[in-house]
Amino acid sequence: MAVLALDTSAAVAVSLVDEDGARLASRTSDERRRHAESLAPLIEEVLAEAGVEPSGLTAVVAGTGPAPFTGLRVGLVTARTLALTIGVPVLGVPSLDALAVQAVSDLGLRSGAEILATSDARRKEVYWARYRVISHEGPHGVPVVERLAGPDVDRAGFVAQAQLAAPDTEDGQLPVVVGEGAMLYPEFLPVADDAPLVPDATVLARLALVRREADEEQPAEPLYLRRPDVHEPGRVPTGATTGSGATTGAAGGVA
Amino acid sequence: MAEPLVLGIETSCDETGVALVRGNELLVDAVASSMEEHARYGGIIPEVASRAHLEAMIPTIQKALGDADVDLSEIDAVAVTAGPGLVGPLTIGASAAKALSIGLNKPLYGVNHVIGHACVDQLVDGPLPERAMALVVSGGHSSLLMVDDIATDVTELGSTLDDAAGEAFDKVGRLLGLPYPGGPHVDRLAREGDPTAIRFPRGLTAAKDQAKHAYDFSFSGLKTAVARWVEARTDAGQAIPVHDVAASFAEAVADVLTAKTIAACHKHGVDTLVIGGGFSANSQLREMAAKRCAEAGIDLRIPPIRYCTDNGAMIAALGSAVVRAGVAPSSLDIPVDSSMPLTTITV
Ligand SMILES: Nc1ncnc2c1ncn2[C@@H]1O[C@H](COP(=O)(O)OP(=O)(O)O)[C@@H](O)[C@H]1O
Ligand SMILES: [Mg+2]
Repeated sequence: MAVLALDTSAAVAVSLVDEDGARLASRTSDERRRHAESLAPLIEEVLAEAGVEPSGLTAVVAGTGPAPFTGLRVGLVTARTLALTIGVPVLGVPSLDALAVQAVSDLGLRSGAEILATSDARRKEVYWARYRVISHEGPHGVPVVERLAGPDVDRAGFVAQAQLAAPDTEDGQLPVVVGEGAMLYPEFLPVADDAPLVPDATVLARLALVRREADEEQPAEPLYLRRPDVHEPGRVPTGATTGSGATTGAAGGVA
Repeated sequence: MAEPLVLGIETSCDETGVALVRGNELLVDAVASSMEEHARYGGIIPEVASRAHLEAMIPTIQKALGDADVDLSEIDAVAVTAGPGLVGPLTIGASAAKALSIGLNKPLYGVNHVIGHACVDQLVDGPLPERAMALVVSGGHSSLLMVDDIATDVTELGSTLDDAAGEAFDKVGRLLGLPYPGGPHVDRLAREGDPTAIRFPRGLTAAKDQAKHAYDFSFSGLKTAVARWVEARTDAGQAIPVHDVAASFAEAVADVLTAKTIAACHKHGVDTLVIGGGFSANSQLREMAAKRCAEAGIDLRIPPIRYCTDNGAMIAALGSAVVRAGVAPSSLDIPVDSSMPLTTITV
């Protein structure tokens, strides 16, 4: 029996783990604008590589973002539909949680250390959330972190001011910055050397397993954090639509 | 052997449609719409539609299966709209269909939405004859297709160069201060007006247009003419005879659509015409098409309106046709194509 996890919050990441969280197969694709094309073939590949039939899955896990909308929805609708098809639960894990957890292992962070996890929100903004390390190693070898603030979406400069102005953590250090959102704004958000940049689907799967055992709710609901761009008839849109193709004009319905 | 059971998914615009078709028999057609949300904005907002599709997808699949008392394991193939349409909404349906295909280990067929609008008629009126004409008219499309084989051979004779027929009605509706979408309201007013009261222009019907645009349409000039006419009246402080304006406008649209379509039937020796798409609800078009087809000896097929608006049935119907024709399934990496050519039946 196995658990399939997929994350489309940044690029595309797919992983298949066994019930203990050991990785059976995984794939990633760096496609940022073609999630819908890349995801399904990667799912088929990991299942084939591990010799697991869809009926051998006990859950499907999806990264819930926050993330640009169209890519995020590809992962969620795929996970929900696949789970429905095989009759198993769909579990949602915030993608930034997976990034923070991975930072603990990758960077050898100790309890009390804090993490500022970021991703690219486009439009000159980042998605971010701040975490504290509770334990370097928990069940299934998964580090335990606690979310202190976020997830939210803001300009990098604003996030830096609010989160990195003074060393206010328990250990007297600044939060460690991770994630590719920060990579775009090095002047505000200096990313730690060797920091993870995108969520790893294997970590996502393990987090879901830990939370499933703890009987936590894991809603597979998208973290959009932004409202859709809408405008009154006859007025110009207020901005480009993030990741969702073109905004049509007021009467621009397409069949 | 029973014919294959095809599940069809449609998400090209604001309707989430899921249907089951076996052969030419419709078992169930479930649909959820986000139209009410869009009405507030006077048009479809792609992001609002996309969010609604994500939320509606699973409940709509479950409703279709439940109402038809069909288990997912009975499905033989999955068909989905691959285009044309709005990218965000199309992506939801395509992703769901791919997940079904993987989970059920059944073939996937990405199909053309506009051709689906023509194909749905087979569920109502039975198989199309060897060669038929199809006029697909909606809020997003006005296209004239020659159908030699709905699964493998469709030729686009013409399309609108600017506004679609329904879109033109919606714009005129707004001009006359009617609620969105204005089409049905303009239709209602037109029924009580004099269609000969004002002579509005017929786009692309001049002799010089015959060479390149014999079967193309253009409605934006017509819409502008209506706007100018209304403006001139308003400026002169005169009341607007809305019924006559609506009737004369609707007459111009129906006249061009039917005249060009029937000319194409004559030219290509076709004696069956299918009209599909949400705008086929329009009474002026229905009336004129019925009259002119009767005169020309053309068998007119317009499915009931619930088949004409966007729905899963049209996609399942086309899926069923291509499966039966032995067309190769789509691969799992097919993209969605917002401007899919109307000659592309499957991808
Ligand atoms: N009776 C009618 N008369 C004129 N236009 C109509 C009528 N009924 C629907 N419409 C128009 O048809 C379009 C809706 O058709 P549909 O196939 O649902 O369109 P879409 O291309 O937007 O998906 C709208 O533009 C609507 O105003
Ligand atoms: Mg349509």
